Amino acid sequence: NNSYQLSSVPLQILFYVNGIYYIFYFLATLAMIVYKSEVFSYPDDFLAPDLASLFIMAILEVLRLYLGSKGNLTEEEAPLGLSLLITVGSVILSVYFLVWQTYVLKADVIINAVLLFTYGLESVLKVVAIAAFVS
Amino acid sequence: PPETRAATRARTRSGPAPVTDVAKLCVCDLLVAQCDVNCCCDPDCSAADFSLFTTCSVPLVTGDNRLCSQKAAIYSLDVEANPPERIFKLIDQVNPSVFCIHATNYKQALAFSSPEMPTSENFDQLLEQFGSATFSAEPDSWNMNKDAQNPSDANETYRYEYGVPIQTVDAFLRLPSPVVSSWCSDGNPAGFLVNQATKCTRSVNVEECGNIQAASMLFYINSSILAVNITVQSVVVQSLNGMRTLLNGSDVLRLPMILDELCINIVLGMSYHITYTDTGEIIQAAASFVLGEINKEALSIQQSFEISFTQVNTKPVPVSGNPGYVVGLPIRAGFRPQGYPFPVEILFAALVLNTNKYGQLTILQSTSNQDCLAAQGPRTPILFGYNMISGCKLRITAAMKCQPLTQTLLDLLKGQNFPEYVASFGNSQAQDVLDWVPITHLHTSEQRIYNTFQSSCQIPVSLEIEVKWTKYGSLVNPQARIVNVTATITTTTLKQLPSGRERTIPITSSVVFTDISSPAEPGYKAWPTINAKLPFDFFFPFV
Repeated sequence: NNSYQLSSVPLQILFYVNGIYYIFYFLATLAMIVYKSEVFSYPDDFLAPDLASLFIMAILEVLRLYLGSKGNLTEEEAPLGLSLLITVGSVILSVYFLVWQTYVLKADVIINAVLLFTYGLESVLKVVAIAAFVS
Repeated sequence: PPETRAATRARTRSGPAPVTDVAKLCVCDLLVAQCDVNCCCDPDCSAADFSLFTTCSVPLVTGDNRLCSQKAAIYSLDVEANPPERIFKLIDQVNPSVFCIHATNYKQALAFSSPEMPTSENFDQLLEQFGSATFSAEPDSWNMNKDAQNPSDANETYRYEYGVPIQTVDAFLRLPSPVVSSWCSDGNPAGFLVNQATKCTRSVNVEECGNIQAASMLFYINSSILAVNITVQSVVVQSLNGMRTLLNGSDVLRLPMILDELCINIVLGMSYHITYTDTGEIIQAAASFVLGEINKEALSIQQSFEISFTQVNTKPVPVSGNPGYVVGLPIRAGFRPQGYPFPVEILFAALVLNTNKYGQLTILQSTSNQDCLAAQGPRTPILFGYNMISGCKLRITAAMKCQPLTQTLLDLLKGQNFPEYVASFGNSQAQDVLDWVPITHLHTSEQRIYNTFQSSCQIPVSLEIEVKWTKYGSLVNPQARIVNVTATITTTTLKQLPSGRERTIPITSSVVFTDISSPAEPGYKAWPTINAKLPFDFFFPFV
């Protein structure tokens, strides 16, 4: 039966899990930024880039998951390709939170590592799905 | 050479570099090149020194323990070994919390920032930032507060409160006064409504007669109180032997100069008279001078200064307290002018007061010869809080008649102008009749008179004034307020003496102050309310 259904079920599951995980990630990172600003010395010109990156990442994530899910379900490669491109931006932002943030706590390292792992797995599955749709 | 000097000035000095290696950091190493006792991290100590220690005063040296992993130096003494030796271990201390700092990209985060070294370029900015009593870490928010204050200062009229220094164009109005020793210090600011009188000594050099700033009139009238120029009210010239003459034309500014080997026009006394309105603005300022002359041998002069404040459109009435009476100041008393009805209506004329504040309520003053009928001498003013008793002896001869004697004694006891009203507060104005307490007069007799029909002579022998006062106002700053004044005249029968005999009876007058304050009533505060508020930046990015 898989021959006439090209949509990738693991990819869809991963999108769903990614969405839930990202909500948790967003709230956790925001809470930790608030915590850091209270406990540590966090001047405004260091706080602003961190918060801006977090909100841009949230917007990109919503776009990415929507396009990817739509592309997978309608078996079109264009939205899926666009989603893959946006994933690159999300990966860069995740690396920013992992390495270039003002204060990187151990919790930051953990949740960003999980997110990067998820992105990597998703990218692989997206490439496989695009290959399946194109051919 | 000037080039190197300029280069040296331009180079900014910085503080010593911070030590961050935990193995080299030792806070108990206080003595240089000597071993500190019980300091296990001291590099100047040898193994023999360590064997004599009992404990390690600094057992652990670490960095910031919020970091996930950091180096720690542990010092301990192994007392089991013989001789005891010091154990030094360098380990990696791990913070198990999940919120430990893994890395930081903000260099100043975990260390104290080195302060900026002041140079000639940044000195003004540093002074602006750190020169006041409080300063914030963000210089931008400090500038915002300054802008907020400016609109209110732009208001030209200044409202003064009691004690606030009077502002002049450049600084404050100063009244030279002695500080610590009797030498004049020019730094004493004059406070609004604070009447001061000071005397101090100033050293002068007669050679530089024209240059002595503090002895010239110009120094005192030069500083103009904002929008008000200081005018010269009167000038009195004092000669070397102390004789004073008032000058007619007081517009001329007399500056110190040398005349006939004397330095004249030296300011020996100066008093400011400031006129203010009831809203707290100063509208007029005048200065009166006493100018003197000094000869070549004089090394110092004594100057006296005074400042007094008068409200506009009022005659300066000396107050005995503000508002409550101050112990030691005279009681203020007065009369209602003749021709006015009994106190019922509100529109009363002002009370008439004696301009001499010490002459308003007085009692008999005891003299050395104690003779009541001698010439009436000065009377003692009644000072608030001081119970007084005075008296004299009356020699009664047979030839004395009753009625004139009674009148003489009444005049002696009460004085010429015994007032009708006493001010209840030290600063009661004559216009407010309700602030004044009427004096109650009582008559008692020494002997109980059963036979009033017998027309015997009653002469007053004692006057007792009882002043009842109470504490008024707040518990921490109670003000004395006079509630009731009673003047009691005690009379006695004058028995007719056989001719040739004479009697001596004592006449007394006394003043008693009684405190009738009711116990303080506690004022309870309102119930505390729960004031639960979130911190102002709780919804930080959204607010």
